[in-house]
Amino acid sequence: MTLEDQIVRITSRLVVPFIQVYGIYIILHGHLSPGGGFSGGAIFGSSLVLVALSFNLEVGAKQISHDTSSILESGGALGFILTGLVAVVLGGNFLSNQAAGFPMGEAGELFSAGAIFIITTFLGIKVASTIITLFYNIIEEEDKSGASH
Amino acid sequence: MGLEQHFPALIIAILFGIAFFSPLLYRWARKISAPALITALTLALAMSISLLIQVTQGGNITYYLGGWPPPWGVELKIDLLRVYMLIIVLAVSTWIMIYALKDLEHELKTEMLGWYYSLYALLVGSMAGITLTNDLFNLFVLMEICAISACAIISIKEDRACLEASFKYLILSAMGTGCFLLGVAMIYMVTGHLNYDLVSEALPKAVELYPNNMFAAAALFIVAFGTKSALFPLHVWLPDAHASAPSPSSAMLSGVVIKIYAFALFIMFYQIFPRTLLDSIPLNEIVLWLASMGIMFGSIFAMVQVDLKKMLAYSSIGQIGYVFLGIGLDDSMAMAGGFYHLLVHAIMKSMLFMAAGVIIYSTGIRQIKQLGGIGQVLPVTMLAFTIGSASMIGLPGTGGLISKWYLALGALDIGRPIFVVIILASSLLNAVYYMPIIVNAFMQQEEFEHEAKPVPRQMLIPLIVGMAAIIFFGVFSRPVIVLLESAMQMFF
Repeated sequence: MTLEDQIVRITSRLVVPFIQVYGIYIILHGHLSPGGGFSGGAIFGSSLVLVALSFNLEVGAKQISHDTSSILESGGALGFILTGLVAVVLGGNFLSNQAAGFPMGEAGELFSAGAIFIITTFLGIKVASTIITLFYNIIEEEDKSGASH
Repeated sequence: MGLEQHFPALIIAILFGIAFFSPLLYRWARKISAPALITALTLALAMSISLLIQVTQGGNITYYLGGWPPPWGVELKIDLLRVYMLIIVLAVSTWIMIYALKDLEHELKTEMLGWYYSLYALLVGSMAGITLTNDLFNLFVLMEICAISACAIISIKEDRACLEASFKYLILSAMGTGCFLLGVAMIYMVTGHLNYDLVSEALPKAVELYPNNMFAAAALFIVAFGTKSALFPLHVWLPDAHASAPSPSSAMLSGVVIKIYAFALFIMFYQIFPRTLLDSIPLNEIVLWLASMGIMFGSIFAMVQVDLKKMLAYSSIGQIGYVFLGIGLDDSMAMAGGFYHLLVHAIMKSMLFMAAGVIIYSTGIRQIKQLGGIGQVLPVTMLAFTIGSASMIGLPGTGGLISKWYLALGALDIGRPIFVVIILASSLLNAVYYMPIIVNAFMQQEEFEHEAKPVPRQMLIPLIVGMAAIIFFGVFSRPVIVLLESAMQMFF
């Protein structure tokens, strides 16, 4: 790693917080506006990939390590399934929402739409951490085979 | 109403749940990750048996995911045939996993084991989903999960042959799912539905209005499911993929995965497409002749192989032909035979791959001609191989005879004796490549010249269970045949 590009570093340092806030906004507003867990998670994940690309892998790993991201990945998916099972426990069908008694809230408010809100949040975690894990996997595979990064 | 009514969704949820849980377990509590997977599989199997009891007592079950009825939500449906497939998938995969616990330690790197369990559960979960779903798009998604996890359990071994084979498999099976999606799009275009029942209600009219659209959809489905289940000219990916994979993966892929797509094609043909469509174009004829060519050529290719696992893989191409023969013959008895073969072949091919796995584990031999005299050092394994081969050939007392018998009866029933000739000829061909191995293994005079490691009991017990199952289904075939015949009544 010899490329010390100040412009890229300073720009990405400025931009990354905004990308992350935007990603979280998209995830949390999944039930209100276009977007949702998948697109928001992809935006959030790519912000951390940007950190690792513009600085280096160590700085990126300080934000979120490979291990953490792969644990979060499993956790996000498990959360999705658990939400479905909670509906069964509450007496509805698998993945039921209002029928199982999830609180609906006021339509148009942030905390509304019951299980959909919970599921998009888990989905966002899952997708963001999947993107980061995939990125780390590819980088580490390159390291192993001896190519420079 | 208790928990039983949620079993259809819970089976899939528990398998996908353990798929995402086992990497965590492997990280934090390595010792219990394998028992947890076995428990989850057994639990799912128990639930599927409870579903069988529910279906035989109270008729078909439907389950609305999220409580939304069909035009809006995804529906799961359980009838006799689906629950039969579900039990085969879950029972065979539990059985293979018990064998795999020891074999994988030898074939994979330790840090990969947790991921293997995860992929395995994902594969089983997606196949359980394919048998239960009643929605075309849901089927597409599950097929993708199934294809990707099937590729991954081949490439996880990380040697050159595995990576090449799984890449080939990935590309071809992606083309298969692509064809399927295109076919679904054509059906959706003319009917506006994705639910099987609603589509099949709307199709008779749609076929009159847009016949070409539906012909294209039918052709795309044959190509899609043919590629996925290695119907003869679309089989090119199978030999490499099934031969180079770790043995438990080979057993799983050859035993169960290719059959699930044959089942899906059956559902498309007889549950979704109206009879007028099947009568107006020779769909059944096409499947029949492709299946017959597969039966013959699969056996002929198998004869010239020098690698044991590759021979077994080519033999799968021939054997899946029998299942398609049952689908194509359009006669309830032949179909019962085809589905019986699906069960028997799932057991015997998995067992043969396991036996090959034991041989590789113990001696490291893959070449057929080095196997002379191996019966002296691995008697149980070679006995299992013998019983499996006998069932492949269709000798009396084994399950293979029963399925061929019903297939032949069905072919005579609708006046196509030519297929009886094909079944007979292929049995002879099977004998040509299976018998020499057995004869060499047991009858050779010289000592076996390679070193043989002792085989752990955990690998031999599944083989003994498999032998017992093959003979059981060869002798007491009546209950399953009765179940299948009443399952087939839905379609006629």
